[in-house]
Amino acid sequence: MVDAARHPKIEILAYSEVERVDGYIGNFRAQVTKKPRYVRADLCNGCGACAKVCPIELPNSFELGIAPRKAIDVPHGQAVPLIYAVDLDNCIYCYKCVTACGKLDAIDFSQESETVDLDVGSIIVATGFDSFDPTVIPEYGYGRYPNVITTLEMERLANSAGPTVGRLIRPSDGKMPKSVVLVNCVGSRDSRYNEYCSGFCCMYTIKNALFLKQSDHDMDISIFYMDIRTPAKGYEEFYNRAREAGIRFIHGRPSQITEDAETHNLFVEAEDQALGQVIELETEMVCLSTAAIPRADTEHVASTLTLSRSPGGFFMEYHPKLRPVDSPTDGVFLAGAAQGPKDIPACVAQGSAAASRAARVLSADTWEIEPIVAHVWPEQCLSFQGKKCGLCAQACPYSAITVVQGQAAQVAQAKCHGCGGCVAECPNDAITQANFTDAQVVAQLRELLRDRPEDKILAFMCHWCSYGGADNAGTSHFEYPPTSRGIRVMCSARMDQDFILEAFRRGAGMVLVSGCHPQDCHYITGQRVAAKRFDRMPRALERIGINPERFRVEWISAAEGEKYARVITEMDAKLTSFDKAQLRAENDKARPEIEKRLRRWKAIPQMAELLAEEKQEKQEVPA
Amino acid sequence: MIKLEKLDQAFVEEVLAEPGGEHLLTCWSCGTCASTCLVRRYDPAFNPRLILHKAGLGFRTDVLSSVEIWQCSACDACYPRCPKQIHISEVMKAIRAIAIREGYERPGVVAQVDVASCIACGMCVAACPYEAITLEMSAHNGTSKMAAQVNRDLCMACGICNSVCLSSSIVVEGHTDERINDDLGVSPRLQRGTAKDTAKVLVITCNWCLHAMSDVSYAMQPPEGVKVVNVPCSGRVAAVFLASALQRGVDGVLVVGCKEGECHYKQGNALERGRVAVVQDLLDLLGIERSRAQFAWLGALDRGQFPKLVEQVVRDVQALGPLSWGQ
Repeated sequence: MVDAARHPKIEILAYSEVERVDGYIGNFRAQVTKKPRYVRADLCNGCGACAKVCPIELPNSFELGIAPRKAIDVPHGQAVPLIYAVDLDNCIYCYKCVTACGKLDAIDFSQESETVDLDVGSIIVATGFDSFDPTVIPEYGYGRYPNVITTLEMERLANSAGPTVGRLIRPSDGKMPKSVVLVNCVGSRDSRYNEYCSGFCCMYTIKNALFLKQSDHDMDISIFYMDIRTPAKGYEEFYNRAREAGIRFIHGRPSQITEDAETHNLFVEAEDQALGQVIELETEMVCLSTAAIPRADTEHVASTLTLSRSPGGFFMEYHPKLRPVDSPTDGVFLAGAAQGPKDIPACVAQGSAAASRAARVLSADTWEIEPIVAHVWPEQCLSFQGKKCGLCAQACPYSAITVVQGQAAQVAQAKCHGCGGCVAECPNDAITQANFTDAQVVAQLRELLRDRPEDKILAFMCHWCSYGGADNAGTSHFEYPPTSRGIRVMCSARMDQDFILEAFRRGAGMVLVSGCHPQDCHYITGQRVAAKRFDRMPRALERIGINPERFRVEWISAAEGEKYARVITEMDAKLTSFDKAQLRAENDKARPEIEKRLRRWKAIPQMAELLAEEKQEKQEVPA
Repeated sequence: MIKLEKLDQAFVEEVLAEPGGEHLLTCWSCGTCASTCLVRRYDPAFNPRLILHKAGLGFRTDVLSSVEIWQCSACDACYPRCPKQIHISEVMKAIRAIAIREGYERPGVVAQVDVASCIACGMCVAACPYEAITLEMSAHNGTSKMAAQVNRDLCMACGICNSVCLSSSIVVEGHTDERINDDLGVSPRLQRGTAKDTAKVLVITCNWCLHAMSDVSYAMQPPEGVKVVNVPCSGRVAAVFLASALQRGVDGVLVVGCKEGECHYKQGNALERGRVAVVQDLLDLLGIERSRAQFAWLGALDRGQFPKLVEQVVRDVQALGPLSWGQ
C-alpha cells in the first residue's frame, strides 16, 4: 500500500465512493464522491495529537469493538494514507483537536463533500469480503457466551499491535486460556447459510493453532473439522507440522456448545468420527472459523458497474476457466475475495492478473469486439417516430442502449456483447444483430423444415449452454431420436417469439426453446428476459389455435447432455402420440393469423426477398 | 472384511425412491446429528449418522434388522442443526416403511388397549403425536365393539395416550398409572414434620430435558425436602397426579419438560404446560396459591440451569409456607 501511495502514477482516493459509471471499455467516466474528512489531507502529518485530546470514545470497528477509538481517528495504525478524519455524527464540537493541531492547522470543519469525474480506461473491482456473523447459529452460543469468539477477534487479541498488545485473554475474566477449541466451517458448507466452502479457513485455523502453541507450549488446542482442505503448494506440509506439534484434530462437527455459568468454561459436544462416539470437551475458550461472505454492498456495486453475481453472492467472472479475472462488462476486472473466497497468494495472483488485463486496455489504441453487435435502423425505431418505447434498453443487460424520445435508439457498440435480447424485444423490428439477423435465422428455419416439418422438433439453442448441452449429448453418445433440428443463437434472449410462430407457420411438429439456467446466463440477465417472454407463449399459441403442448421451454447447461437427450426423447414421444392429420389441420388453421402478425417482416431488409422466394416456390409446386 | 461391491445397491435406490428417503446420499457424515441425538444416552450404540452411512452403502439386512431405525422418535432436534438440511427422521421413516413391507417388526413395548373397558371416546386418538391410534371394530367376548387400536409400527411408547384416557384402558408397560403413582407417592423424605424449615417439593422431569451430566447427577441426589421423579415425557403426567401429590402432603410441584419445539415426542411438553395451567386455575378456585404448581422448560443449551430452577421453586414454596387445605 505504501508503495502504491508513493507511486507517481497512482492516485489513491480513500474515504470516497463511486457513485456512477458511464461509458465503455477504454472510455469510462466515473463519478466519485470524496467524503469530507474535516481534516486537510495536504496538511495532516498523521501525528495523532488530535486523537489524544479527543474526549469521545467509540467502539473501534477495526478492533471489532474490543478497543475504543476517538471521534477523530484513522481506521488503523497502518492506514494509507495516514490522514485523520472527524466522525461528525459523534463529535461534540469541543474543538480540543483544533487546539492540539496548533500551528499545523489541518483541521477544517468547513469541508464539504466533493464530487469528481474521472476519465478512466479500465476498472478493477477489489472490494473484498465480509466475515459471517455467527450470532445466527444458536447452538454455538456466539454473542451469548463471552468466551466464544470469532477468528477475526482472535486475530486482534493475538496481534501485538492489537488492544491487548498480543496477550491472548479470555473475554470473561481477562486470563490467558489454558485450552482453546477451534471450530471449522462456521457458516460455510452449511446449506442453512452458505453452501460454498470458504477455502482458506482450514489454513488460517491451523495457522492460529500453531501460533497459540508457540505462544504457550502447554496450551491444549483442538480443532474440530469436517474435512481439512490444504490443497495448495506447501499447505499439506504446514498441516503435518500442526499435527506433529501436538494439536488435537477431531474429525467431527460440533453439534452444540454450552457454558458453565460460574466458570464460563465451555463444553463442546461432537461425534468423533474416528471413534464413532460422541465426545464432550471442556475448554476455556472457543474460536469459530467463520465463513467469508460477500460484502453487504455487493449488489450496489454490481448495479453501478453492471456486474453479475454467482450463486454464492460474490461477483461473477466472465468465464470460470478461461477468463477468471474479467467481469461480464468489458474493461471491468475482478480481483481478490470480491470474486470468491480466496487466500492471500491467490488474491495476489488474481490482483496481478487483473492489473495486466487492465493495462492491456490502457495500452491499446483500438479494441476488437465480436462481429455480432446490434444495429438500429433509425427510421423504423418507434422512438424516432415520436412514440414512447425503450423496450430494447430495458432488455439490455449491459446498459449499452440509450433511448431518448424523438430520437432513434443508440447502441454503444463497445458495450454490446451481442446477446440479441434487444433485437427480439423490439416491437417494430428496428434492431438487428450482425450475423444473427432475422432473415438469417428464418432462412435456416426454412431449410430445416423443408421436408415433412410435422415430424420434426425445431430446437432453439443458446450458444453457451444448451448448444453445449446438445454437443455434450453427442460426444457422450447419449441416444435420442433423430427428429430434432437445431438453430443456434447467442442467447435465449435472441429467440424472438416471431421465430416460434414462423416455425409453426412452416408446419413444425414441435418447438423447443432452450438456454442457460438463470444463474449461469452468459449475458447476466438474458435468460430472465427470455423466460419472461416465453411464459406468455403458451397462451398466445392457444389463442391462435395451436396446442401449447407442442411448445416447450427448458434450461439446459453445457454439462447436461443427459438432460438434452431426455428432453428430446420426451418431446419425440409426445410428437409421435399426436395425430399428424390433426397437426396439419391445426397449422393450416393458424397460418392466416400468423401471416397477419408477421406482415411487418416485409419491412426488414432481406426478409422481403426471403418471403418472395417462398411465393415463387409455391407457384412452382403446382407446376 | 466387508466386501463393499457385494452390498445391495438396489437397497440404496429403494430408499431414495421412498418418500422421505430422497436425501439419503446428501449426508457427508459430519456427525452433528449423532451428537445432538439424546437417544444415545439410553442406548450408547444409537447413531443416526451410521444408519444413514450404512444405508447409503447398501447394508440392506444390517439396516432393516437394526433396533436403531425404530428408536428415532422424530423429535427433529438434529434437523435444524444439520448443515445439509437432511430431514433425518423422514429418512428413518422411509427405511422403516421398507422394513415393514419386508416383514420386520418393531422391537420393544408399545401401548396396549384393554378392549373390555375402552369406551371409544377418541381422546387417545387425538392426543397421540404419531397418529398411531385409530378407533376400530375389535373382537370382544364373542361380539365386536368399537375400541382404540394401536399401530405397532408407529407407536413410540411415550404414554401420552395413557395420560388422557378417561377409562384407564390404554397403558404402556413400564410406566403404568400405578407405577407413576407409586413413584410420586410421598416418600419418607417428604413426610410432614421430618424437616421443619425445608419445603417439601416434588419435581417431575421428563427423560429428555436434562442434558448435562451435572444436572442429571443433581436430579439423582436432590437436596433435602426435594424429590425428583422421572417420567418418559412430561405429557405423560396427568393433572390428577399433580393434584393428588399436593393432597398427600407436598407443598409444591414442579414439572420440567423440554424446551418449546424440542419435545422428544413432538408435543408432549406443550400438552403438559396447558395441564399445569389448569391445575393452577383449580388451586385459585380453592383459595390456594397458584405458584404451588409450576411448569418449566429446559432446553439442550441450558446447562446447569436445573439446580437453579429447583432452588428457585423451593424458595418460592418456602415463602408460601406449608400447604394448608383449610376446611
